[in-house]
Amino acid sequence: MNLNRRDLLKAAAAAGALNVVWPLSAGLSPAQAREAAEALGADYDPAPFTLGVASGDPQPHSVVLWTRLAPEPLAAEQKLPEIVEVHWVVAQDRELRRVVASGTVAASATLGHSVHVPVHGLRPGRHYWYGFRALGKRSRVGRTKTAPTGRVSKVRFAAANCQAFHDGFYAAHRGIARENVDFVMHLGDYIYEHGPVGGDHVRDHNAPEVLTLADYRVRHALYKGDASLREAHAAHPWFLTWDDHEVVNDYSGTGGGAPFMQRRAAAYQAWYEHMPHRDAGNSALPDPEIHRLRRWGDLLELTILDLRSYRSAQNLPDGTILGAQQKEWLGRGLGNAGDAWHCWANSIMLSQLRGRPGGGYMFTDQWDGFLTERKEVLTRVHDAGLEDLVVITGDWHSAFVDDIRPDYDDTSSPVIGTEFTAHSVTSGAYSAEWNKTNGPLMGAANPHLQYFEGNRYGYDIHEVTPKRWSTHMRVIADRRDPVAPVTTLTTFHVDRGTAGAYEDKGTKGSAAQYRRDR
Amino acid sequence: MNLVVNGDAEAGPGGNVEPVASVTGWAVTQGAPALIGYDIGGGYPSPADPGPARRGSRFFSGGNSPRTALVQDVRLPRHGRTGRRAVDQCAVRFTAAAWLGGYAGQQDGARFSVEFRDAHGTPLALAVLGPVAAGERENRTGLVERTSTGTVPPRSRTARLLLVFTRSGGGTSNDGYADALSLTLTHHRGGRA
Repeated sequence: MNLNRRDLLKAAAAAGALNVVWPLSAGLSPAQAREAAEALGADYDPAPFTLGVASGDPQPHSVVLWTRLAPEPLAAEQKLPEIVEVHWVVAQDRELRRVVASGTVAASATLGHSVHVPVHGLRPGRHYWYGFRALGKRSRVGRTKTAPTGRVSKVRFAAANCQAFHDGFYAAHRGIARENVDFVMHLGDYIYEHGPVGGDHVRDHNAPEVLTLADYRVRHALYKGDASLREAHAAHPWFLTWDDHEVVNDYSGTGGGAPFMQRRAAAYQAWYEHMPHRDAGNSALPDPEIHRLRRWGDLLELTILDLRSYRSAQNLPDGTILGAQQKEWLGRGLGNAGDAWHCWANSIMLSQLRGRPGGGYMFTDQWDGFLTERKEVLTRVHDAGLEDLVVITGDWHSAFVDDIRPDYDDTSSPVIGTEFTAHSVTSGAYSAEWNKTNGPLMGAANPHLQYFEGNRYGYDIHEVTPKRWSTHMRVIADRRDPVAPVTTLTTFHVDRGTAGAYEDKGTKGSAAQYRRDR
Repeated sequence: MNLVVNGDAEAGPGGNVEPVASVTGWAVTQGAPALIGYDIGGGYPSPADPGPARRGSRFFSGGNSPRTALVQDVRLPRHGRTGRRAVDQCAVRFTAAAWLGGYAGQQDGARFSVEFRDAHGTPLALAVLGPVAAGERENRTGLVERTSTGTVPPRSRTARLLLVFTRSGGGTSNDGYADALSLTLTHHRGGRA
């Protein structure tokens, strides 16, 4: 069966919706589905490294390298031997000539022929290049960087979240790939679990709601069919956390019945198989351990939180979003915190958010559904005397800047930090009309809210020096354009030793639907 | 040879529905399991309910915690027909097996997983068994067998076993059940990839 873009688009036009002819919707084989996907704008690296390469969890002497062998990326099962030996190499140059480490790792069908290679013995604060070889083929070359040690004068990193495939192309990831950053922090909703959405979208999911391990593998592979995502992975090391859509909307990691636990395990395993995640030590698959503390020299302590695996149901008097063990770990970290910027990678909004004055919380899936624990944790932050706290957040598909207070209902409660909630990569926000109406209402209802902007898509660049934290909101011109240009909408700063953010004078006149400090 | 220590819940404290703080061969990492006798009655699995043919006297349950987890690290054989040399030549296959179940139509469940790791603890292969949904055991109290087989990847040196019991909904009893957990290795004439 030979499919070409013209025929597919003609069929789409006749059907009135692109998703009608999107791969697999007509019972195509995996190979045909891939051909159709590519005809409609998806693309993949040459087989078997179709999904690209990645690195993650950079430490001073180590990074994790990742790839997955998937000759037919949209196939539930790969036509590969049960075990495939994969050779890897790390070098000081992009031609991979000055080799500093190399080896062989087994790719097992039981883990989707993914490989995770923790490379050790590297030097701090250095760029390295890496590549894989298997089945007589070579992967693309990726670039990574180790964390520095000692005194560090600057760290620059990107934060991305919420990348619904059907809502647009990944121009934001194209931008991230081109940024001069030390690492990328992904804040979750890397995939979405539901079926095709239909309507006027540039592309769509290729299968119904995903439920099984095979389903989730294909869904991850579909998302990696956007070249910009693979490019961003290959360009920088990533840290990762997740939110709900890696499994299912608004789920709690605990308390579900056996059918849900089967699904959760499948989703978690597929996530691991597709991410440059370091998993070892006390955890065990299919329950990867996400939360961790990482340092970027003496400048930054990055606390990565997992707000899904251990949470209880929402709105319980004794509910938990962290789980007992993670909360205890976080509390220990507060006591041992060094003199550095303290950044929490937080998938879902920490700050209180009422929809209008006198109204209720907008979403209790976020920390607003875990009031007692939020107050307890933030009071501990205050009592510990922790300074220079910046929380970076995803999920909301819009940009917010909030003061963090132990008690959001008490305006005399001290400001102890700033939360930057970022625009999404693609996932749809509210309408411009909704934002225009509700921005001021949310501002009036939440005295700690400094800024709201919901009409754009992109990512944040956080630029950190010993004296100042600067968050640049980078936005793309058009989600429908895979090569849309990136510009800076505005920049907020936090001065070291002074809690609270302020907007850069040069961008304070930019469009927004709410500003507290005019 | 079964590499799982006390995979049949027969060793150490237990015998009734009271949770125990320690389990022979296992590290309790969350909650507290109960090692319940098949003769306890009260709706728990009995010798007459579906379960392993040679079930001994006790089985694992989740105790009274919403989530109970046990971990066991198994060192793979150093020598012999399933030793390191054979593993590194892709000549060893594993079979993970477990009897897993729950109570009547409830969706409490037990999951048994085996993660093969290299000498540094990096996962190389994974087998996940269960949890068994109520419908898979015809909404009947009891345990059903689940197995998984595969090739032990080269450079595998240990296996981390994870046994997790999850409670669904309310109530206090975590009625995920498990028994007859096993991990066996066999030599085969496999070809290197």
